[in-house]
Amino acid sequence: MVTLEGDRLVFRFPDVHEDARLTVTFQRTLRIPDDDRHYPLPPGLGAFPLRHIDDYRGRLPKAWVERGGVLMPMHQAEAMWISFGSHYPVAIKVATGKVNAITGSPLTRGLHRGPQDYLVTPGQPWLDGFCVEQGVIRQFVAMPLGQGYSVEEQISRTAEHGGLQLVVHPLKAAAYRELQRERARISRRSTGEIARRAADMGLAPGGRMRQEVYQDPFAPSDWSQKHTGRCFITIVNTVLWPSLTGETPPSVSPTASDYTKAGLPWFEYYDPGAVALRGSDTLARVRSVKALSESKGVSVLPENQSVDVQRTTRIHALRPRRVRDGRS
Amino acid sequence: MAASRPTRRWTAPRRPRRASQPRFGAYIRELRERLRKTDPSSSLRQVAQRIHVQPAYLSQVERGNVAPPSEATVRRLAKELGEDADVLLALAGKVSDDLQEVIRRRPTLFAELLRSLKAAPTHAVLRVVREVRDGKW
Repeated sequence: MVTLEGDRLVFRFPDVHEDARLTVTFQRTLRIPDDDRHYPLPPGLGAFPLRHIDDYRGRLPKAWVERGGVLMPMHQAEAMWISFGSHYPVAIKVATGKVNAITGSPLTRGLHRGPQDYLVTPGQPWLDGFCVEQGVIRQFVAMPLGQGYSVEEQISRTAEHGGLQLVVHPLKAAAYRELQRERARISRRSTGEIARRAADMGLAPGGRMRQEVYQDPFAPSDWSQKHTGRCFITIVNTVLWPSLTGETPPSVSPTASDYTKAGLPWFEYYDPGAVALRGSDTLARVRSVKALSESKGVSVLPENQSVDVQRTTRIHALRPRRVRDGRS
Repeated sequence: MAASRPTRRWTAPRRPRRASQPRFGAYIRELRERLRKTDPSSSLRQVAQRIHVQPAYLSQVERGNVAPPSEATVRRLAKELGEDADVLLALAGKVSDDLQEVIRRRPTLFAELLRSLKAAPTHAVLRVVREVRDGKW
């Protein structure tokens, strides 16, 4: 079951295990410059609001209501990252416009390896964009659907779905119990109908960022693929958010330049025990918002000047590791 | 400006079955000590600094010698320790301001709802929480 608790999506699988729970928030952030430099991870500036789509069904296009899920407001050219919180291992497929953000392939049922088309948490705390090569992503940037910028439009040549889709599978209870035993061993040893096109947004590739998407450390048979939690997140242009919901959308995030000039930190995530996926050739060929807008002779990215990041905070993965036993 | 990425914690201690104020101090101490094993910045002194209280006061709270701190401090502590703020507030014997406001708006309705759910198993309570409807896509 999927519930909306405040601005958090909570996926639960009580039939599998009482601990099988994943919390997802969508974080407002800086849009990193799209200049082909590789930037560290930008900060979280608070969660985007989420609303049940059924609460506004009278004012929404029929197609939106049919797919269910939640609504989320984003400004044009605004960036976002996804935060995952889970103690119990879950496999998550992330798609934008039903194009897989890890592989660039159409969203399919089930979990696949070769190439791996999902991420695993705990272990993968965040996803900031499309996995274009090993250790590099292109940031998620909201653009109006129908203008050709979204990954969906560039890969599938349609502007049909937009938004963001999450499909979650839990680890089987037996595999979790084994993991708990392993963790315990380690612990002991170590310590109104509107015009759809105007409001519907898709996610397009922005600037390049250093972020690894990690290889699944479990066996394929450890995952319970018969238990699935799904949610369609419809992204609404903030221009139309007040008329749809009667609420004021979040303010525009600061620019990367202003943030950096203020001396505030950027981030790096370091997990020496994990192996990074190599990235998608399909997604590597997708053109960034800046490249595409320049070829169209238009400017859609305000404030895109390069930034010299001076202050970076390194965050270490807090996964349990075996305590090395030396010579005694 | 909230600039920090949320820190993810791999493990959390088992939550106590029954909320009581003396348990609050022991619980946060257990949480903090567990974090300190992998992260030296979770020392009593540094955590106290980050949640804007004196180390001696936090030490007294952990030992259960003084009453739990204010809601704002409990919330800062929850964020610092990677715990749910509602869990810590319940252990501290407090009802958060936003929940009080929810109850004040429709006191009879929510009192009845909570009493009717008192003995219900967890899966039955979860059914009352509104699900996000999945549709065709």
